[in-house]
Order: sequence, then C-alpha cells, then structure tokens
Amino acid sequence: MTLYLVRRFAAGILLLLALSMLVFFLLRLAPGDPISSYIDPMASMTEADMERLRQSLGLDQPLPFQYVYWLGEALSGDLGRSLQRNGQPVLDLLSTSIGPSMLLMLTGSTLAIIFGVIIGIVGAVRRDGPVDLTLAALSSLGVSSPAFLTSLVGLYVFSGVLQWAPAGGMQDPGMPFTVSGLLKHLALPALILAFGQTALIARYMRSSLLEVLHQDYIRTARAKGVPGRMVILKHAVRNALLPVVTLIGSTLGLAVGGAIFIESVFNWPGMGLLMVTAVEARDYPLIMGGTLMVGAWVILANIMTDVAYAFIDPRIKVG
Amino acid sequence: MRFKHFMTAALMAGIAYGAGMADAVAQDAPTRLVGGFDVGPGGFPNNVNPLLATTGYMALTLAYEPLVIYDEKIEKVIGRLADSFEIAPDGLTYTFKLSPEAKWHDGEAFTSKDVAFTLDLARNNASGSVYVARLATITDVATPDDRTVVLTLSQPNSSLLDTLTKLMMLPEHKLASIPADTLARNEYWITEPVGTGAFRFKQYSPNQFIEYEAFADYRRGKPKIDQLVNRYFKTPAAAVAALKAGEIAVSYVEADDVTNFQSDDAFRVIEGKSQVVNYLGFNFAAKIWDDQRVRAAVMYALDRKTIVEQLYGGKATVANCGYTAERLVPSDLEAYDYNPDKARELLKEAGWDQINGAKPISVLTYYNNDQSNNVVAAMQAMLAQVGINIAPRVADMAGYNAVIYAKPIDPSQFQLVYAGLTNGPNPGNLNIGLNGAQIPPNGSNYTRVDIPAVSEAFNAGLKQTTAEGMDKSYRDVCSAMNKELPWATLWETKRYGVESVKLKNMNWQPAPGGGPYEMHQETWELEGN
Repeated sequence: MTLYLVRRFAAGILLLLALSMLVFFLLRLAPGDPISSYIDPMASMTEADMERLRQSLGLDQPLPFQYVYWLGEALSGDLGRSLQRNGQPVLDLLSTSIGPSMLLMLTGSTLAIIFGVIIGIVGAVRRDGPVDLTLAALSSLGVSSPAFLTSLVGLYVFSGVLQWAPAGGMQDPGMPFTVSGLLKHLALPALILAFGQTALIARYMRSSLLEVLHQDYIRTARAKGVPGRMVILKHAVRNALLPVVTLIGSTLGLAVGGAIFIESVFNWPGMGLLMVTAVEARDYPLIMGGTLMVGAWVILANIMTDVAYAFIDPRIKVG
Repeated sequence: MRFKHFMTAALMAGIAYGAGMADAVAQDAPTRLVGGFDVGPGGFPNNVNPLLATTGYMALTLAYEPLVIYDEKIEKVIGRLADSFEIAPDGLTYTFKLSPEAKWHDGEAFTSKDVAFTLDLARNNASGSVYVARLATITDVATPDDRTVVLTLSQPNSSLLDTLTKLMMLPEHKLASIPADTLARNEYWITEPVGTGAFRFKQYSPNQFIEYEAFADYRRGKPKIDQLVNRYFKTPAAAVAALKAGEIAVSYVEADDVTNFQSDDAFRVIEGKSQVVNYLGFNFAAKIWDDQRVRAAVMYALDRKTIVEQLYGGKATVANCGYTAERLVPSDLEAYDYNPDKARELLKEAGWDQINGAKPISVLTYYNNDQSNNVVAAMQAMLAQVGINIAPRVADMAGYNAVIYAKPIDPSQFQLVYAGLTNGPNPGNLNIGLNGAQIPPNGSNYTRVDIPAVSEAFNAGLKQTTAEGMDKSYRDVCSAMNKELPWATLWETKRYGVESVKLKNMNWQPAPGGGPYEMHQETWELEGN
C-alpha cells in the first residue's frame, strides 16, 4: 500500500507539472498584452513606462524562461503576487479562499452521499413503486440540471421569493462572525451543490443494489431467515457501495466545477469565485496558483477514492 | 394561589424588563445601511483606487470627494470640496476656493497642497492614472494659500470641470511616501485609505463588501447612517434576490427585472436615461469602411426602431448621432430609416463585392447578457439581408481591451465593435473615442476614427467657454457624425435603480459611470432600522 501511495503521489506531481505547463502556455496564447491586466488600458502610459513595467514583471523574457522562473519560485513556496488584488501574495489569497471552498464542497458532498445512498436504497427496495418513480424523476432532474441553472433558480426561489436563505455571501456583511450566521449562509449553496451529486449517486446506488439483490448469496441469506432489513443493510448495501465509491471519488472532482458556478452566483468567497474573477481580470499569477491548487485537490480526491476502495473491498489489492 | 400570583408578577416584570431592554437596544443600535452601490454598468466592484476609476463613482463618493461635482439633476457642476470656483473669461485660468472645514478621516486638515498633490499624481503616467490625457491642458497648479488653488491651462478645455468631478482628492500626508509607480495596486488602498467624505473606510473583504462607518467630523454634519456596507454581487440576479429579501436597500437592476419591483409597495423604481450611446464602431484600420456609402448602408440596413420597440420594449431612444439630448440634436439630421433596398444600392455603388463581399466581419463586443445577445442576433440577420455578413464575438472586458489595444493592432480581430460611450452630462465625453488626436497611444479612439470634419467639430467644442457656445459646437459634432458616420449610432437605453421605500433622502440617478453627482450622503436615512 505504501509503495502504491508513493507511486500515485509521484504520478500526481508529474500531472500537476504538466497541468501548470499547459495552463501557463495557454494563458499566454490568449490575445493581447499581459501588461494590460496590470494597468487599466484606458490609462495613457507611454511605451517606456509599459516597457519598464514589463521588465519589472519579467514579461520581457522568453516564455520558457518565464515558466522555469515561475516554477522555481513556486517550488520555493512563492506563487507570486496578484496583479489585480493590490499586490497581495497569491498564496495568501489562496489560503484564505481554500477554507470556504472546502467547507462548501465537503458539506455539499457529504449531504449528497447521505441523501444519494438513502434515496438509492429506497428506490431499489421499492422498485417501480410510486416512491421509486418520484425519486427517479427527481434524480433525472438533478442529473440534467447544470449547476449554474440550479444556482440561479435556487437563489431566486429560496432567497428572493420565499426568503428562507440569505442571497449570497458567507456571513452578514459587516457583522461579527457567528456559527449560526455561517450555517445560515452555507445551507442553500451546499444543498444546491449536493443536488446534482445526489441524483448521480442515487441512480448508481439504486442500480447497483438491484443487481446485488439478485445475487445467490442474498437469496441464501433470505432462505436462512435473515430479516429483510438485515439482508439489505448488512449484506447487500456494502457490496452495492463499491461502484458508488468510485463515483463519489469522481464527483469530488466534479464538485470543484459545480462550486465555481455556485460560488459565483452566491458570492461565496472561495476558490471558485477567486478563480473566476482572476480569469476575468487576466490575473496570471493567481490563475496559475489557483489551477495548481484545484488540480492538487482533484488528484488527491482520486487517490483517496482508490484507498477507500481497498478498504471497502478487502479482495482488492493495491500496490 | 400565591404561587400563581408570584408567577404572574414575575412574568409581568419579565415582559417589562424585556420591553425596556428592547427599547434600550433599539435606541443604542447603530443605523446600518447595506446597498449594492457597485452593481451594473455604473459599478466597478473591488476597485479601491480612485485614480483607476472609469466607473464606480457612486461607491467612491461614499469616502472620497472631488473638488467639484454635478448637482442633483446631473446638469450643472457645483462645488464640493471647493466652496466656490471661477473660470476666467478666456477659459485659461480656473480658481478654486476650498472649504475651510474640510478634514481628512484621520483628522488632518484638507488644504490646497493636497489638491496640487492629487493633480500631480493624476497627471503622472507612472501612477496608472486614467486621467493623464484628460488633464493634459493643465500647465500649472498654483497654491497661493491653504484655501486657494489656481489652475493655468495651455488652451481652453470645456471638459475640464467634468473631469474634475471624477477626480477624487487624495491625502498628501499619507501617499507622498509611496513611490508613484507602486501606487496603482498598493495595499494602502485596502488597509488604511483616507478620504474626506461622509463615510470612513473600516474594512474590505475581497469580492464580498466594503464596510464604512460614519465620519463624525464630516463638515456637512455627521451622517445619519452609522454603518454602511457596499456589498458586491457577481451577478445582477443575486442583487435582485438580495433586494427582494430585504438584505440590501438599493441597487441598479436590469430592465428585465424591473417588473419584479413595480408592483411591490416596498420598493421605488427609478428610471432614467443611461447617458451612454450604443453604436457599431467601424474599425477604420480594417480598411473596409473607408467609403461613406458603405457606412450609410449599414445604417439603412438596421431597423433600429423595431429593435428598440421589440427588444428593448420601447425603453430606448434611437440615436442619429452621438447625442439624444434635444439641445444637442439639430432638426435637419438624416434619420436613416430602415431601407434595405437603399442599403443594397449604396453597397453596389461603393463596390462592396470588391471591398469585402460576403466574407465574415468580426464584431467584437463586451455586452454579454440575453438582451444584448438578442440585439446582436437581430442586427446580424438584418445586415445579412443586404449582404454584410457579421460574426459576433463576445469577450469579457479584459479580453476586449486586450484585443483593441493589442500592439501591433490586428484589425481582423475587430472589424466592427458593438459598444457604448458616455455622451453626457458633458457632451465632450465622446471626444476620446472619435477625435483623430485620440488614436492610441494618445487616447482611446481605438477604432481609429480620423475624419477631419468630426475632429474639428470636437476641437471647437472643447475650446468653448460658455454653455451656449458648447451646445452650438456639439450640435455641429452631431451634424458631422450624422453625415460622416464614424459610427453607426444605434440608441440610448434607459437604466433602472430600485430602492427600498424605507430609504430616505437618497437621490439615486442612473448616471454614466455611477456619477459622481450630489447625493448628500450625510442625510441618508433608513426607517425602521
């Protein structure tokens, strides 16, 4: 297992390196002068001023040199300074944003796993009944609704019309921090993030459980007089969870994508909102740093999934 | 029985105590106003440096003040930090008498030295200031005493006062030690900024809000609002939800959202002209628009009246030059009514087949909402009818700027632009986009309009020293634009703000760039707070 983890982490680091290279060169392929992101193009700077600024930011060097320089600084823990955000260190901005993002994503994913598994079990046990059909309809809705749509609809209905939840932010602006205030602001975006994931997990759980319920050992357990509830919870669900765990791993990665939309709509001060504003402003150092951070999260989530897989199914050997 | 009496007495005492406490709390609770002051096209969220401001003045004037400002109706320039000002008859000398009571938020006195310092900074390219070109006619800033500032100009500049309404005064004692070339993105702006306005900076939370507190020593009286929060929204839809939920008391809203509030007694809807003219800008560097008949054909091919009626619901005014204000529009303008046959005829006469023919023409725009997308699609269909094949390309603002200011310029990336430019309150505002002298790097005439009749008309307008003279000159600008067609002028839309009926004394106007105009921030009140 240790060797496996070392190999996976090494591959993850190589992947991150490739990702950073790809993003770096793609960003530079975007039209225009990177300097325009530093100074408002309406400002009438002279060519000499622009050149001086370009030199001070290292933008006058060849692209490969710029990349190697950036990489060297990044490896020493310096991801540079944001061009747009008053020269704040990128690492500081990322470290203040990652907490809110993790909170939102983990809350959303936890809710999705709980609801998804329960709905999947209920759907399989009451197959083709009214409850199953209703849940199937809701699942279809969840799977087919993109995060930006559910966010806007959720915001309009639950904040604007019903006024059950605040319309964005992580706390009441300008008010002292309270846990209840945080939970109040977290509930709606987390539930919306969970909506799509729940639907996916529920569908997988349902079909996986239906398959398991037809296995011989389940029939044997029933024949031996094991109570129905025990058969399902103890024998069937554990085995049905295997493909679902794989799915959960990939939904953790998907949650990053969903969170970007949800954070933008709900002004949640996390990585998603930070990245969107960075891209809009062509804030190259921040985009690079943010991409690395998100990439690392997705890779880590995948490794965690593989490890969890091994724990759930002792037959699987990793390494 | 005794126990029952005891419980009743205890309950009564509890209620009385609770009521008293509630009363005390109500009396002591600070008045708190949360608004979306940076929402929509007049906003500039997260901009905390006044020298970089091209919009967002409604928010900036919470803490900062200019020397002069537009009045409540956005018609006339009046004093703000200057108690009074005089312009010499030749238009070459401006004398400002400063308010003796004005103080910075840290208690230091505001003096003429601060004005000179601000003007030096604003005219210094290294500071990143967006005002350098607009203040270029100032040759000298004299400060004969603490309360007097005298500006000397190289030539009359009828837009100078308008520019000064946007230039927020900055404190020399806080900024003199910061090198100008590090000032643009300096942490000063989000840690300890100091202004002279009604509200003092308290904290900045990126992408979330800026919090202010009342400036107790404000010379026009302590503000009635104790705590003010300018909340940011990534999407106008979120601002609408926050308005509906009562989380904010004021915000710009898009035209589509107005109906949500019109029937709601809890809100007031404010409507006004955007003072921004929308246009299809011909990129003259592309060399396909040189023939005026081709430009005229574009005008005749567009059914602007139908677009205004059907897509804007009548909430816009067709523009036949850069202006729609009656005093600036001569009666004998060509109306360019929809006439596709005439458009085809003009294109044929001009030899459009040889110039470009059916090759796609890239239209760059930063407008990216449903309404604008529909408008662009309608224009695309109308132009296709006469043989002009446009290919819209939407970019965010940074991407748009990157393309139009690319060095070297690549005209194939934006043979046309669909954009807007402020045409009021000072009509000279259009100069930066249309005068041949403003072609980059000198200014922001990025479609490279260099039509002598248009440039000369603007130059004449800028030299005027009286309101009547200015109006006459800008009517000439309007005529020249209508005849020469540096742009295919389209319309001027209406804009909307919504405020809670609990909010009193706030004079919200759909001003270009969000102002600045006299809002009397110190008098704002929020009932039931």
